[in-house]
Amino acid sequence: MSLPAIVSADQAPKSGEDWGIRVRSVGKTFARAAAGTAALDGVNLTIAEGEFVALLGRSGCGKSTLLNLIAGLELPTSGSIETGRRRIGMMFQDANLFPWLTVRGNIELALKLSGVPRADFKDRVDELLESVRLPDAGSLRPHELSGGMRQRVALARTLAQDCRILLMDEPFGALDAITRDAMHDETERIWAERGLTVLFVTHNVREAARLGDRVVVMAPSPGRIESELIVNLPRPRMIDGPAVASRAAELHARLQDGPR
Amino acid sequence: MNPITTGAPGVAGAAGAAGAVGSATRRLAARLAVRLAARVLPPLIAVLLVLSLWEVVFLAGWRPPYVLPAPAEVLQRFAAALVEAKFWVSLTTTLIRAFVGFGLAVLIGTGIGLLVSGSRVLRSAIGSLITGMQTMPSIAWFPFAILLFGLSEQAIEFVVVLGAAPSIANGLISGIDEVPPPLLRTAKALGAKGLVLYRHIVLPAALPAYLSGLKQGWAFAWRSLMAGELLVIIASRPSLGAQLQFFREFADTAGLMSTMLVILLLGMAVDGGFSYLSRRIQARRGLGTDRASARG
Repeated sequence: MSLPAIVSADQAPKSGEDWGIRVRSVGKTFARAAAGTAALDGVNLTIAEGEFVALLGRSGCGKSTLLNLIAGLELPTSGSIETGRRRIGMMFQDANLFPWLTVRGNIELALKLSGVPRADFKDRVDELLESVRLPDAGSLRPHELSGGMRQRVALARTLAQDCRILLMDEPFGALDAITRDAMHDETERIWAERGLTVLFVTHNVREAARLGDRVVVMAPSPGRIESELIVNLPRPRMIDGPAVASRAAELHARLQDGPR
Repeated sequence: MNPITTGAPGVAGAAGAAGAVGSATRRLAARLAVRLAARVLPPLIAVLLVLSLWEVVFLAGWRPPYVLPAPAEVLQRFAAALVEAKFWVSLTTTLIRAFVGFGLAVLIGTGIGLLVSGSRVLRSAIGSLITGMQTMPSIAWFPFAILLFGLSEQAIEFVVVLGAAPSIANGLISGIDEVPPPLLRTAKALGAKGLVLYRHIVLPAALPAYLSGLKQGWAFAWRSLMAGELLVIIASRPSLGAQLQFFREFADTAGLMSTMLVILLLGMAVDGGFSYLSRRIQARRGLGTDRASARG
């Protein structure tokens, strides 16, 4: 086992060798877990810059753990993760907006935390709200928004960090189907417009097939990568269309193969 | 709530529009009157009930009138006190003591709360002591305070601070402990850490619990202060508590009860202020009142 290491930009590949995320034989064991049960074991994953990858698996297979490791919220027990000096944004299933701040205040706080000068706040917030199609929501408070609107604001707040890598942890899992479809369109549009690298965790096979350039299938105990599927469909895709459905069926079969 | 906007009706429609505006205004006034009545009537009726019960007991002659006066006499004394210089001097002394004592308690309680919530060692050392202090009746401190400081302002302030600071510290500690973990995770993902995390996320999230600690701290401060003013009477410095003592010695029940009324009203006013603040903060966050959450 090698020592955990986060490689800094100094050690990053020279320009021309562009990459988004590189995960090398990463293992993670939680201190309180029973002996021998690793949350993650021997995970290798390379995501190219600008790629949209869906990370699919049942609950408990370590998807969220892998995401937290890449975000730097936790450290791997073994292996290494390289993300260069790129800023990483993260979204969760709950929008987690700060309830004491308005929508504008939430986004401003993110700007402040990433060192944007105060003089630029107004223009940046307006631009971000525009890009998640909530141009008039600035003065509202989180509890006055619907679930979908909250996730839009959370997306704007994440984008406020000017991140190049976007990690999404089942961000639309709590939304109704129609709102979720709309959020898929928005996510895809923003990914394309901004040239982001997206890693999208989900347990929904259709969602994975709808969004991913590539779907990485994970399996539990220990959490590991089981297989990959290149989706290879033109965008925009219809989540109810036959093409997505056939990919989803394939993914579904792969999920069922594994031990339950 | 937005006021009804009248716009600028054209000349032809002016009469009709004015009529519509008139009826809209009337409806609004009626709604306001109903809401005001719903707020004011129940407590008013309760007060009237208490007063009439008191009047009945007075009329029944359970105690002689100089021991238990009629409500009207007490209210007259209350009104008369409002124009006496001595009353205002006493009131000022008491209020200054209250604000100084409570202010010190806020500073000390907040400081201790911040330290304890930030340090595991301090928490295990004095965490339960703070809770213990909260349960200690503050009047039990007075003999000790009088020995330490004599019959002085310091003795009173000492006990007021000891009465209020633990509640304030505990409010802040539980507020900080109960910041929802998902908010902390999100804040860290946004790059907040250390003091910035405290200043922008932890403390704002802890504000409602801190405020209820302040409110409870005020109640303790006010009680400790009244106990202190009864026990620690400083010559030539009249206060509300000292007045109570004098009125008792002169068997002036009407004066005594009118002073008690002042003490009750002051306590209620400050408590009402805290309640108003915390209701506003809760409503802004979409917590608490049904009306706020129903709007979503």
